[in-house]
Amino acid sequence: MNEGWQPKILAFCCNWCSYAGADLAGVERRQMPPTTRIIRVMCSGTVDPAWVLEAFLEGVDGVLITGCHPGECHYLNANYYTFRRYRFLDAFVKELGLEPARLRLEWISATEGVKFAEVVRDMTDKIRALGPSPLRPEEGVR
Amino acid sequence: MTGQSYLAWAKDPEIRKRGGSGGFVTAALIAGLKEGIIDEVLLVRRIDQFESVPYLTHDPEEVKSASSPQLAAPLNLSSYIPRGVKVAVTTKPCDARAIIERAKRGRFELEDVYMVGLNCGGTMPPVSTVESVRNLFGVDPDTVTGIEIEGGELIFKRDRGEDLTISIDEAEKKGYGRRESCKYCNTNIPEMADLACGNWGVPSDQRATFVEILSAKGEELFEAAKKTSMIEFEDATQEELEKRLKIDRRMRELANRRWDEVAGVLDERDRLAYYINEFSRCIHCESCKIVCPVCVCEADAKCLDMGQGNNHYRISLYNMIRLFHLMDSCIGCGQCEDVCPVDIPLTMIHQRFERRMEEMIGYRPGFDLQKPPLQKPEEGMK
Repeated sequence: MNEGWQPKILAFCCNWCSYAGADLAGVERRQMPPTTRIIRVMCSGTVDPAWVLEAFLEGVDGVLITGCHPGECHYLNANYYTFRRYRFLDAFVKELGLEPARLRLEWISATEGVKFAEVVRDMTDKIRALGPSPLRPEEGVR
Repeated sequence: MTGQSYLAWAKDPEIRKRGGSGGFVTAALIAGLKEGIIDEVLLVRRIDQFESVPYLTHDPEEVKSASSPQLAAPLNLSSYIPRGVKVAVTTKPCDARAIIERAKRGRFELEDVYMVGLNCGGTMPPVSTVESVRNLFGVDPDTVTGIEIEGGELIFKRDRGEDLTISIDEAEKKGYGRRESCKYCNTNIPEMADLACGNWGVPSDQRATFVEILSAKGEELFEAAKKTSMIEFEDATQEELEKRLKIDRRMRELANRRWDEVAGVLDERDRLAYYINEFSRCIHCESCKIVCPVCVCEADAKCLDMGQGNNHYRISLYNMIRLFHLMDSCIGCGQCEDVCPVDIPLTMIHQRFERRMEEMIGYRPGFDLQKPPLQKPEEGMK
């Protein structure tokens, strides 16, 4: 692995909380590595597990799913479905033999810019230690 | 009464003789048709001693003539159930589990389906069984008239000449015997069906079927058989009950041991490399999806939709989505492995994912009408 290698992390951020949280992290000038690519979704509950699988197959090194804290979902209880899917994905990733640190679920509210930056820093460090994803296609990421 | 067990047999001596064990199943199906409880019967009909095909009929005479050894029925009947009619089906545990999973997904009303369960110790693939007669005994397979498994022995019956006998262990060591998925299947008594029938627990000098009534629908069929005096029966004794459960327990132990041999070895290995290597052979013929009894998405399936044209992936998205999708529904029936043209051990792989889910959620697909756990919200979340 070369020194300059930076992991690529795909983040699914809920429109109502963590996307605003990510925005706040920027406004407050919190320092974090430029490793995430954010996809804004209307709710973490819309994140289809198949998207996560496709992301890994496309060659991302980690997938971060963020949503509203339990009980604070804009759509009442959709993040409870998110959590069930995350548990399935987590078991799937472990069975497949991929390192479990490559998949992460975090609850981040619109006011938690600090937490967003912290999560990105921590996840980047962990994945940097693991190296590129073994599922990355041979010709690299498109 | 539900929960009650009987030893039962057909009154008609011909049915009793032809049936796998006492002919109760045939008699109950005919009684159900005669009493108008059911409109159709779905069963497996024998083509020859090695192979059977699914068969749907409403004619009692055909039911009578169709009886076949289930050993020769390595197919899943759940996909052949007609919609909107009352139908009785002979079910191995995997058939019954598939029927429940399909009913959950709206393919038919479970109320319309009468599951006449058959105890199952495994089924045999026709082609390799034909070969085994030739290769193990040097005998022409056409001389075989029937196959039985009894007391750990695989017996090929013949009209002329001696019966051919080999222990199952030995046959399976040589690559014959039951289907791979049957060897590690640990559901032998179809407790999720309406009736559970079989010869386990029946004293060896008696030609009868051990029948356990598992639901109101099962009772209805049993009562019909009683009313039309198609059957004679007696209560099962404590000794017979225990003998049956003992056989079940032993079969389960053997299955679990087999599972450790074939799948447990992957615990320590680099699984990702293993899976990438196995799935690299996949030619995307989609056969596994077509035969899968719990897959009901048909042409709009996500695995087909998203899984195309991504040839640079390490494992195709088609396979990944199927692995994920079946985590909470795979019943280990082995159909996918049977049809795979490139011999990927699909059932074992799907079962590894499914059994991990079982440990995590504590849910087993095909046992009750609970909603699949992936479709439910997480409970008790902080």
